[in-house]
Amino acid sequence: MKRRALIAGVSVTAIAAGCMSMATGPQAIDWNKVPATTVTLFYPGQSSYEWLRSDAHKGASRETARGDACVSCHDDPKEEQIQGRKILRGDHPLEPQAAVLKGKNGHVDVGVQAAYDDKNLYLRYQWKTHDPNHPGADYPGYRFDGKEWKAYGHMRLHKDTLAGKFPPIYENRMSLMLDDGKVSGFAQQGCWLTCHDGERDMANEASKDEVAANPLMMAIKKKDVRKYIPASRTDPSDWRSGKSMEEIATLKAAGEFLDLMQWRAHRSNKAGGADDGYVLEYRNFDGGKNHFSSNLDGKTKQPKFMFDAAKFGGKSFTAADYGKKEIILVKGVNAVPFDPNAGWKEGDILSQYVLSAADASGSAADNKAIGTWKDGMWTVVFIRPLGLANPDDKPLKAGGVYNVGFALHDDNMTGRGHHVSYVKTLGIGAKADIQAVKVN
Amino acid sequence: MSNPIKLSLILSAAFCLAVPAYAQVDPEEVFKENDCHKCHHATKAKKGPALAKIAARYKEKKLDEKEAIKHMTSGKKVKLEDGTEEEHKIIDTKDIAVQTAVAKWMLDR
Repeated sequence: MKRRALIAGVSVTAIAAGCMSMATGPQAIDWNKVPATTVTLFYPGQSSYEWLRSDAHKGASRETARGDACVSCHDDPKEEQIQGRKILRGDHPLEPQAAVLKGKNGHVDVGVQAAYDDKNLYLRYQWKTHDPNHPGADYPGYRFDGKEWKAYGHMRLHKDTLAGKFPPIYENRMSLMLDDGKVSGFAQQGCWLTCHDGERDMANEASKDEVAANPLMMAIKKKDVRKYIPASRTDPSDWRSGKSMEEIATLKAAGEFLDLMQWRAHRSNKAGGADDGYVLEYRNFDGGKNHFSSNLDGKTKQPKFMFDAAKFGGKSFTAADYGKKEIILVKGVNAVPFDPNAGWKEGDILSQYVLSAADASGSAADNKAIGTWKDGMWTVVFIRPLGLANPDDKPLKAGGVYNVGFALHDDNMTGRGHHVSYVKTLGIGAKADIQAVKVN
Repeated sequence: MSNPIKLSLILSAAFCLAVPAYAQVDPEEVFKENDCHKCHHATKAKKGPALAKIAARYKEKKLDEKEAIKHMTSGKKVKLEDGTEEEHKIIDTKDIAVQTAVAKWMLDR
């Protein structure tokens, strides 16, 4: 087992290093010499763009609508602790599910270090997982019920989880949203520009019928509402008011979008990647192919891959394995084509996604990452090439200063169940809240 | 139990009972939990006046915490630093001891 883990670890490191030589890549960086900044993230509940502009945001609706920065009011040295604790205390309107979140941490400290060389920006994140004994790398699966493979597991706040149909299961994620100054208001209000009523798990969540009837949602073939920037709507406070595809294309061509880069403990880490996306009219993935893909065959409704029993210790797993075993299906490591005649029995579970560094391609595969979890702490080195020229990327360059927001999903959460930061600045060799230093 | 120990326990209990309720709360925490700090900074003007300025004004006009409590519980219209007016936020506790503690803390800046 240890040998297998070692092989997997070595291959992931090699993949992540990619074309970078050992002399100039992330392995060459002495992180002890790179300044560290502690960024405190807090639990925002359902604090949407619309809520912040409502009277419920006491004494600040007018200021927020005017475009004032969040930190022009929220400037206490312990602001994140105050707000996170308050939202989770049990009687706050921003968290209707506070009762099931009893004991959840209102804030989390993330250590951030930044470095760059001629080719890449490197961000090193360190944080302690809410559960000190589990890395949070599990993900919902497909469970065989004797006849069909059905989705099993979801995040802590999902209605089926709350109803007790299955336990909370979701991967940890570390995300970075980045603006190069082209998205109006991001420098002041950060990620809150993209978080709206009507989105998944937010207030007034859009129904399937509403989404199906919406012209923009039909045009982009989406079944739910996710992050969007205000400029993508004629009324930024109404997700229904999407602009035409021509107008959205014009915004994109002008660079009016946010880069969204996410490291995932389950779906990207073992492939040495971090996904690359952007937020404009929706939370989109970049063009190309991600490090992960669906493990369900759309026609047969059966998994595409199963585990290699010789490497995983079985061709599948069961619900009892969650939290006890590393359950990540990776092509070239432990995945083999699914055999429908392998004697499947009720309760067998297979992964919803299969990972492959080799399959990842195009702009979606730009970002790499190396993540390790030890003694209750994740250390993730995120690697972003400088000077990308793809139409869905923000090209980063030495001397550039960018507005960034950090988000951490921990404790079996997705969607709004994260911790987030107020907006910060990231300078690549330039003065900023977080300053990347030149290495090599 | 010896008499001196008994006496000290009795005195301790009596002291605890005599301590006013507001002494048991952290007024700064109540202030921040109510988001008062969003408008009132210790020393600089934000949307509302700085605590130091409020304290000086109260001192000059010989006002005490009772006036400050009235201010934080009545929701009356107040003039903001930018010249506009809006209703002052009402503190979310009706406990007079806690209100007193917050008022005293503010006026002590």
